Amino acid sequence: MIKLFLIAARNLKRSWFRTIFTIAGAAVALIAFIMLRTVLWSWNAVSEYAAQDRLATRHKVTMIMPLPKRYAEDIRAVPGVKQVAFMNWFGAKIPTAPDEFFASLAVESNTFFDVWDEMVVSPEDKARWLADKKGAIVGHVLAKKMGWKVGDKIVLEGTIYPGDWEFNISGIYKASRKSVDDSEFIFHWDYLNDSAPAEMKDQIGFISIRVTDTSRSAEIAQAIDRMFDERDVQTATMSERAMNLSFMAGFSALLTALDVVSIIILGIMLLILGNTIAMGVRERTKEYAVLRAIGFEPWHVRFFVIAEAAALGILSGAVGVGIAYPFVNHFVGRAIEENMGAMFPYFRVEPTTAALAFVIALGLAAVASLLPSIQAGRVSVTDALRRVG
Amino acid sequence: MVPIKYNVRNLVVRKRTTAAAAFGLALVVFVFACALMLGEGITKTLGRSASHDVVVVMRKGSDTEMVSSIEDKHVNLVLAHAEQVGASKKPVGVGEVLVVIHLDKLGTSGVSNVTVRGVPEDALAFRPTVKIVEGRAPNPGSDEVIVGRAIKGRFKGLQIGETFELKKNRPMKVVGVFSDEGSSYESEVWADVHAVRQAFGRPGSVSSVRVRLDSPSKFDAFKALVEGDRQLGLLAMRETDYVEKQSEATAIMLKILGGIIAFFFAIGAMIGATITMNAQVAGRTREIGTLRALGFSKTSILFSFLLESLVLALAGGAFGAIAAIAMKAVKITMINMNTWSEIVFGFEPTPEIIVSALVLSAVMGLFGGFLPAVRAARVSPVEAMRG
Amino acid sequence: MTPSDLDAPPDAGKAEATAPEQNRKSAAPPKGKPIIELVNVTKTYVRGKEPLTVLDGLNLTIEEGAFEALMGPSGSGKSTLLNLIAGLDRPTSGKAVVAGNDIGSMSDGALAKFRARHIGFIFQSYNLMPVLTAVENVELPLLLTKLPAAERRKRAQTALRVVGLEDRMDHYPRQLSGGQEQRVAIARAIVTDPTILVCDEPTGDLDRKSADDILALLTKLNTDFKKTILMVTHDPAAAERATITRHLNKGKLE
Repeated sequence: MIKLFLIAARNLKRSWFRTIFTIAGAAVALIAFIMLRTVLWSWNAVSEYAAQDRLATRHKVTMIMPLPKRYAEDIRAVPGVKQVAFMNWFGAKIPTAPDEFFASLAVESNTFFDVWDEMVVSPEDKARWLADKKGAIVGHVLAKKMGWKVGDKIVLEGTIYPGDWEFNISGIYKASRKSVDDSEFIFHWDYLNDSAPAEMKDQIGFISIRVTDTSRSAEIAQAIDRMFDERDVQTATMSERAMNLSFMAGFSALLTALDVVSIIILGIMLLILGNTIAMGVRERTKEYAVLRAIGFEPWHVRFFVIAEAAALGILSGAVGVGIAYPFVNHFVGRAIEENMGAMFPYFRVEPTTAALAFVIALGLAAVASLLPSIQAGRVSVTDALRRVG
Repeated sequence: MVPIKYNVRNLVVRKRTTAAAAFGLALVVFVFACALMLGEGITKTLGRSASHDVVVVMRKGSDTEMVSSIEDKHVNLVLAHAEQVGASKKPVGVGEVLVVIHLDKLGTSGVSNVTVRGVPEDALAFRPTVKIVEGRAPNPGSDEVIVGRAIKGRFKGLQIGETFELKKNRPMKVVGVFSDEGSSYESEVWADVHAVRQAFGRPGSVSSVRVRLDSPSKFDAFKALVEGDRQLGLLAMRETDYVEKQSEATAIMLKILGGIIAFFFAIGAMIGATITMNAQVAGRTREIGTLRALGFSKTSILFSFLLESLVLALAGGAFGAIAAIAMKAVKITMINMNTWSEIVFGFEPTPEIIVSALVLSAVMGLFGGFLPAVRAARVSPVEAMRG
Repeated sequence: MTPSDLDAPPDAGKAEATAPEQNRKSAAPPKGKPIIELVNVTKTYVRGKEPLTVLDGLNLTIEEGAFEALMGPSGSGKSTLLNLIAGLDRPTSGKAVVAGNDIGSMSDGALAKFRARHIGFIFQSYNLMPVLTAVENVELPLLLTKLPAAERRKRAQTALRVVGLEDRMDHYPRQLSGGQEQRVAIARAIVTDPTILVCDEPTGDLDRKSADDILALLTKLNTDFKKTILMVTHDPAAAERATITRHLNKGKLE
């Protein structure tokens, strides 16, 4: 059997041109497939890897309306709540690079890094930050990109809070979890509040809550919303994961399109493989007839065709995965994490994606060889030999 | 030189391989055209909301109306400025409040952002293209709203007769559906400006002011007046420029994404075409040798096979382009990355897109067919003599 | 049907080469001027490391209007010789002059033009384009001339009439018998009014009856239309039709 397989695989050497081009074509399709799947995977990762024990409370009706600051204190008193940190979306522009997009948050200084403990800051950086009212902690990707170092003085332009804002870089954080963006800009809520226009004072955008017991998350969320139900401003509390999911739902059409496209590319791959295999079978009709004449059975012939296809599939898979893996992880992924970190904080090929792609290459080759193999198995010995000779 | 029917008929004779290769090329052209059409779709949908003679005034530093705020007394100043440079049509302008609210999506689980525009009574008069197509216009000063045709029925509470809450115990009732020639306004809910201001706790101010000037050429004078008054702290933008900025990010993202995908697809399909054409050359070695023996030059053989590849690619390309045009019927809902609210738009085929799709297929055909064509040209005429 | 039907050469320059000699008797051995002259021609192929000499210092003169057969066992070099004369290949050394052209010194492009103008090919396996009809196949070489389309079509039809296939013009090769296919090929070979007809085993794939028809047709082309014919064959019956039969063995003429 193995012997037959090796003989079949040797047929690939017959037409180097065709074999190489087929493998190249299939590999390119596979690379595209892997990249598309990785886009979809890392998009999902944001909610998949979101902390289980964290809830978020926001305004019930709209994301653009703030909550009263005292709500944070009220939530702290709810049983089962471990820690609370409120924050405001700031909306900053770098005057020298106005197109640079990054998340900027004014946060509750004392608790933020406890609630968001996957944003890891060294104790020295944190101490320096807490001591400096204008201090800011910056994600390492953003800091590297903008060339900011600890001790730098920078000025940002506010889009929601008008005017120029001065900051001192006090520290750098690095995320320990795949769902967290490494390009955020974190500073003191007090600094914002003190300088904000009167009508924007003492208001907070949303509240992050750590609970003691993950299994009670839903219950706690309900308790919080019930507490504010009769107040001026109602809230909506949900797990961070649910919040991310609902945000992503807005892109569902795009995600569906990418899904469809990743199937289409497999279709192209199937066409390439199928075409090559069918051509080989057509050319070798006489050989198959000879094999049959000297006593091989139809299944042997079918096996020959499928084995050759499988060899093609294995090679294509190896080349495709072999290129995509380092290409995405060291090249594309890094570029995407740096420039689109807010959406794709973690853009890497998962081992499961790579394995899936390899299996698909093999599977498609097998499928592509099905029809030609049946055809080859049916070759009539006498007809084929007469036709050629 | 070698007659084209020779190539065409060869393609027809080898139906299956031709179809497989052409289908691969068709898929590429389809995906490429669709991505461009979507990018065009969002630009056009937003673009239709804009008129050349309308100017948007916002607070300085604001990228979108949502974060802007203008006091009522300044609204009147802006309107006065407009009349000063020339704005004779009534109403001269409208001050509107723009907010987004969370609504449950129908059909899928999840919440999404919907834009609610608080408009004054004369908003319909200000935008003559907006028409009530179902139900009726809301009563002024009431909690009645109209919804755009595109989002009607896509969210909970957005059907005629249904209600949704802007604030606890403040139900807004849908009384009508409006259309605006397929513009992005059709993805909005229009409520009374006072009701929205009250619900969102921002009395005495609006998000933006739009004014209609007598001619687009008066823009510079108006801008100078508005922005010259430092006390106001406002900026004026042509509405066309404003909406272009609003759609830029999403349109560019769609086009880049589509471009990258099409690039990979194109390489795959090109290789498919190469394999097919190469098999054609291999299978026709004796024929090619005969042509050479008859006196056809290497160049004419090269062109003949390039042509064959081109015909193959254009056939696939035409098929893909037609399929792409058929996507016109499909509408898509997506977050506009500038406003974070949902907008409904479609695939917009333009002659440029169709032409570039066909050009892409031609390029794939020529590149894909090049190596096999060279190989064909190098076939020795002696091959004709081989039995 | 007269020879002038096929006259009116596409190129005036070749009129001289093909001008029929007035005093020639059709049945007598031709005594025209030499149309093919090979002097000390050698052809060597390099296969692997060992050079293989296929033609070895060969000398040959063929006169205008001749009908010559070339025989020899396989591997004797007769195909190589034919290829040289037909301008498909160049000699390694020596001089080969065909219809006034020095084959050895010509570029690929010049050789292609030479073939189009002077050589009519008749192959063992016909080599018709399967996707073209009989008349389109015959018309094919005329596409290399500047003749208008109507004139091309007319000449192709005339040539098919000469080979007796006027009722098969719009048939595809697969709808024809082997003998008919070969006759289409002959029509294609004569449609440009070439100087020399080069035949490579023209009857090799045919049954006796069809083979005889084809040979009769070739004889007619030689006698009535004054075509110079050079034919490689294994078939003694075919060789008999020729006015001169030469034997080639191990790269030398016997």
